[in-house]
Amino acid sequence: MAAPAVAPPTARPAVGAHRRRRSLGGDRRRAAYLMLAPAVLHLAWWIGIPTVATFVLAFTRYDILAGTMSWAGLDNFVAIFRDPLWWKAIGNTVVYTFFTVPVAMAVAVVIAVLLNTKLRARAWYRTAVFMPHITATVAIALVWMWMFEPNIGLFNWVLSLFGVRGPAWTSDPAWAMTSVILMSVWKGIGLKMVIYLAALQGIPSDLYEAAEIDGAGPVRRFFAITLPLLGPATFFVLVISLIDSFQVFEQFYVLTPEGGPANATTVMTYEIYKSAFQRFDMSTASAQSMVLFAFLLVLTIVGRRFTGRDDVA
Amino acid sequence: MTNRHRSALRAVAAAAAGLVVLAACGGPAPDRGGDGAVSGEISLLTPIFERADGAAVLEEQLAAFKQKYPGVTVKPDYTSYSKLNEKLTTSIASGQPYDVMLMGVGWIPPFAEKGVLADLQQDPAQLATRYYEGAVDPGVFQGKVYGLPIMMDTRIGIYRKDLFAQAGITEPPKNFAELREYGKRLTQRGPDGKLLVAGLDVLGIDPRQAFLTLLWAAGGELFNPDGSPAFNSPAGVKALQTMTDVIQTDRSEEVGWTVPNSPTGNVMAQGRAAMLVGHHNFWTAIEREAPDLIAQDKLGFFVIQDERPAIFQGGTLATVAAQSKAPAAAKALAEFLASEGPALAANQQRGNIPALKSLETSEFVQQNKAIQFAMQHFDAVHSEGGVPAWLDVRDKFKPAIESAMLGQKSPQQALDDLAAETSAALAGR
Repeated sequence: MAAPAVAPPTARPAVGAHRRRRSLGGDRRRAAYLMLAPAVLHLAWWIGIPTVATFVLAFTRYDILAGTMSWAGLDNFVAIFRDPLWWKAIGNTVVYTFFTVPVAMAVAVVIAVLLNTKLRARAWYRTAVFMPHITATVAIALVWMWMFEPNIGLFNWVLSLFGVRGPAWTSDPAWAMTSVILMSVWKGIGLKMVIYLAALQGIPSDLYEAAEIDGAGPVRRFFAITLPLLGPATFFVLVISLIDSFQVFEQFYVLTPEGGPANATTVMTYEIYKSAFQRFDMSTASAQSMVLFAFLLVLTIVGRRFTGRDDVA
Repeated sequence: MTNRHRSALRAVAAAAAGLVVLAACGGPAPDRGGDGAVSGEISLLTPIFERADGAAVLEEQLAAFKQKYPGVTVKPDYTSYSKLNEKLTTSIASGQPYDVMLMGVGWIPPFAEKGVLADLQQDPAQLATRYYEGAVDPGVFQGKVYGLPIMMDTRIGIYRKDLFAQAGITEPPKNFAELREYGKRLTQRGPDGKLLVAGLDVLGIDPRQAFLTLLWAAGGELFNPDGSPAFNSPAGVKALQTMTDVIQTDRSEEVGWTVPNSPTGNVMAQGRAAMLVGHHNFWTAIEREAPDLIAQDKLGFFVIQDERPAIFQGGTLATVAAQSKAPAAAKALAEFLASEGPALAANQQRGNIPALKSLETSEFVQQNKAIQFAMQHFDAVHSEGGVPAWLDVRDKFKPAIESAMLGQKSPQQALDDLAAETSAALAGR
C-alpha cells in the first residue's frame, strides 16, 4: 500500500507547531487570568474575606472597641435565638417577603404581557414602570413619607374623598408593615417587568399562532404557553426577589426609623445593623448574618426545585 | 481537584483568616505618644457642621486654627449623628481612628471605658468655671475629662400663648396633673371628632427623650449608683403612664399626629399643636416657617416638672483618640473647637446652646428666646447615659415606650421588661 499523501488527522504535529500551539495556549491562558484577575480580586477582597470574617466572628466574642476576642462556640447563636426580638425580626422579614415577592412578580408578569402588545407610547409606559427601580430608595421613601402622612398626606386625602378615615400609616403598628410593603411592591415591579419583557420576546410567535389555530383563547394561551416558557425568567426573578426582600433595609430605615412603632417593622437586616453599629456587638451581628445567609441559601434551593429548572442559573 | 489547587486554596484561606484576625484585633493599640509638638496631619469626624453651609462654617474655623497652628493640617470627615456609630466603629476596628471625634452626650463612658479616648488632662472643677457644670459632666468618666463640650441641646415645654389665652390658661403647667388637664382643654376637634389641634404633643420627639424628661421630672433616675436600671421605679411608671394617658385616655393627641423629624414640617407653625415636649431648636424652625409667631410673641416655654423641674440635655463634645499619631495637635484642635469663636459659630449653625458661660451675652443667644430660657434653667438639666453599657441598651427604650403608649403593655410591664433586657445586656458585657 502506498503511503498516504497527507498525514492522517490523528498524526502528531511537528514539534515546532506543537510548541507554537502550546505557546499560543499559554498566552491565551495568561490573557484569561489577566482579564479575570480584577473580578477575582474584587470577589476575594469584598466578598471572600468578609464572608470568612463573618463566619469566624460568629463563633467568637469580639469587642470591637477594646480589640479583644475570645472563642464563644455556639453561644452567639443560642443567644440570638433566645432573643424574642430576633424572632420578631425573622417573622417580619418573612411577612414582608411573602407579600412583596409573589405579589410583585404577579403584577410584573401582567404588566410585562400588556407592555409586550402593540400599544401607542409603549416605550413611555415601559420607562415609567422601570423608573422607580433606578431612583434612589431614600428619595422614594421620603416622597412616600409625605404621601403616608396621616393628616396632610395624599393617601388619607384620597380616602377622605370617599368618607374613609385613613390610618396613621407608618406610626400605627397595624399599618406600618403594610406601608413599607406597598412602597416596595411599587418600587420592585420595574426590574421584574423588564426581565419578563425580555423573556416574553424570546417566545416563538409560531407557538401562539398554532395555539390560536387550535382554538386556544388568550387566557389559555397565557397559561399553556406564556407562563411555562417564562419558567427560567420566573426562577431568576424569584431568586433575586427573595434575596432582595431578605436583604431589604433602606425603605424600612427611612420610612419607619428605628424598627417602626413598637418594633412592628424590625427586619433581620435592621437587627444586624443595630447589633453591629448601635450596640457595637459584631459577634452577634455576624451570627445573625449567618442565619440570614442560611435563609437565603435554603430559599434559593427551594426556588430552584419549585420552578423545576435545574438547567438554568 | 489537584494537590496544587488544594494548596492554593489553603493558602488563600490562611491569608483570609490571617486578615480577619488582624482586622479583628485592630482595636486600640498602645498609645504611640507623639513628640508633643503641635504639628502633623490629623483627622476630624464631625456630625455637626451639616450641609454645605455647615461645611463652610467649619472651613472658616479651620482656617483660623491653621493660622494659630501652622504645622497642623486638619482633614474633616462630615457625617450625621445617625451614621456616626458606623464611622467610629469602622475606623476603630481598622486601627485608624479619627484623631478628633465629636460625640454626643452619653457616648463618653462607653468609649472611655474601652480605652478608645484620650484623657484630656483637664480638671473638671476648673472646666466648670468656664463651662456650664451640666455641660462638663457628660465629658467626665471616673473623674477624668475625655470630652470638651461645644454645644448643648435641650428638651423643654413649648406652648402657644395665644391658644393658652383662648382656653383661659394663664400659666404653664406646674405638674403632670396640670400638664394633662391643660392638654385636654387645649385640644380642638371638629364636629365629626376629627383632631384639629393636639392639646399636648408627646410624639414629636424621640420617645426615649420625651420619657426621660418626664422620668426626671417625676423624681426618677435612669440608673442606680451601682449601674443597675432604676427607670422602672414608681417615678418611671408615673412618667410613662402620663405619656400613655395623654394618648389613650385624654386623647389630647393621636398616634401618627406627629412624628420625630417629620418631613411635613413644624406642627406649631402649622397650628396643629398647642403645647409640646420639644427640642429648643424649635425656635429656629419657627423663625424659618412662621416668623409671625415670634414677631407677635405667641411662643412660650416652660420646664417640665412634677416632683422637680427637669430638662433633658443632649449635646456635642470634642474628644481625642487614645491612638492619635499627633496627640498634641489633636488636643489643640479639640480645645479650639470648644473655645469661644468656633463654638459660637457651630451653635449658630445648629441653633443650639453654647456650653461656654461667656457666650450667654452673645448676640446670637440674646436673639433666641428658647436658648435664653434653657440657659436660665440650666441647673435643671439631666443627661442620659452615665454607664459604659448605655449604647448597648439605648435603642431598646423606643419600642418599650411605644408598646405602652400604644396600649400593648401596661407602663409597669413595659418598663419591667425593658429593665430585664437592660440587666441582661449589662450582665453580658
